[in-house]
Amino acid sequence: MIKISVNGEIKEIEEGLNVHQLIEALEYKTKGFAVAINTTFVSIKNYGITIINDGDTIDILAPVQGG
Amino acid sequence: MKNEELKMNNDTWEIGGKTLKSRLLIGSALYPSPANMEEAIKVSESQIVTVALRRQSAGDNNNNGKAGNNFWNIIKSLNIEVLPNTAGCHSAKEAITTAQMAREVFGTNWIKLEVIGDQYNLQPDPFETVKAAEVLIKEGFEVFPYTTDDLVIAKRLADVGCKILMPWGSPIGSGQGLMNPSNLKAIRKQFPKLKLIVDAGIGKPSDAVEAMQLGYDGVLLNSAIALAGDPVKMAQAFKYAVHAGRLGYEAGTMQKREFASPSTPTVGTPFWHQFK
Repeated sequence: MIKISVNGEIKEIEEGLNVHQLIEALEYKTKGFAVAINTTFVSIKNYGITIINDGDTIDILAPVQGG
Repeated sequence: MKNEELKMNNDTWEIGGKTLKSRLLIGSALYPSPANMEEAIKVSESQIVTVALRRQSAGDNNNNGKAGNNFWNIIKSLNIEVLPNTAGCHSAKEAITTAQMAREVFGTNWIKLEVIGDQYNLQPDPFETVKAAEVLIKEGFEVFPYTTDDLVIAKRLADVGCKILMPWGSPIGSGQGLMNPSNLKAIRKQFPKLKLIVDAGIGKPSDAVEAMQLGYDGVLLNSAIALAGDPVKMAQAFKYAVHAGRLGYEAGTMQKREFASPSTPTVGTPFWHQFK
């Protein structure tokens, strides 16, 4: 198991997951969000080849009201 | 009135590769309710709405049993252009990442670039804004940079390829109107070909009229409508204000004069009206 931060919360996940598997493990059910790891954007096409490492900071952002 | 409405709707302009009718850009935050937001945006007849990105937990996806994100579903149903912002970013790096994420989520290369340099007055950081703008333009974004009314910063943004500039009227959410119309006028004069939008600080419809009379191409506002006593009615007021200001600019205002000058003909004035 490795420890990561997801949207500011510390979580323990299996080692070796890619972004696609992480999203499934976190039970995100619908689309319409984007992912950054350690403040670098990860596009959908790279979900399968981007592996989550111990200590990574993951941000998952979705649309909200804005000015 | 009907003919005037028709004429109003035929006046088009171009920004970011799109031809639009409305010159009012509207925010989607701070309304009393989602339904009020939806109604206000519709009544404003704005064709560009600003949105943002924030952290989402897995549970938020369920949205009380409804599919997807309720806010985003409302915005999509309006069928108008979406302008995502990078609000809350404090560095070029953060803003660039947010813009890249926004492009994927919202499916647009438009980005309202906002890099804040001071928490007290939410003044944009000009150095980081220029740095981010340069990178984003190279990556194919249409950058709408939020900046101050400083002419030299405007020049730097134009130098890195910005086709649009959005100087503030006054600090975000302050409702103070145009703090420095002379500076805004100078930017208009020096950049006749760029699209200029007054963004932030508008409080009253008359502020929007003033901005448009300076020859600005549009006005972006949020709090002035969302925090009004009746946001839907205020949305209508701003629709007319932006249009009135634009017509005033196009018509060309008269020169101010030092002294009074009668508008009624003086020839044939009856004797009892003549000063002794």
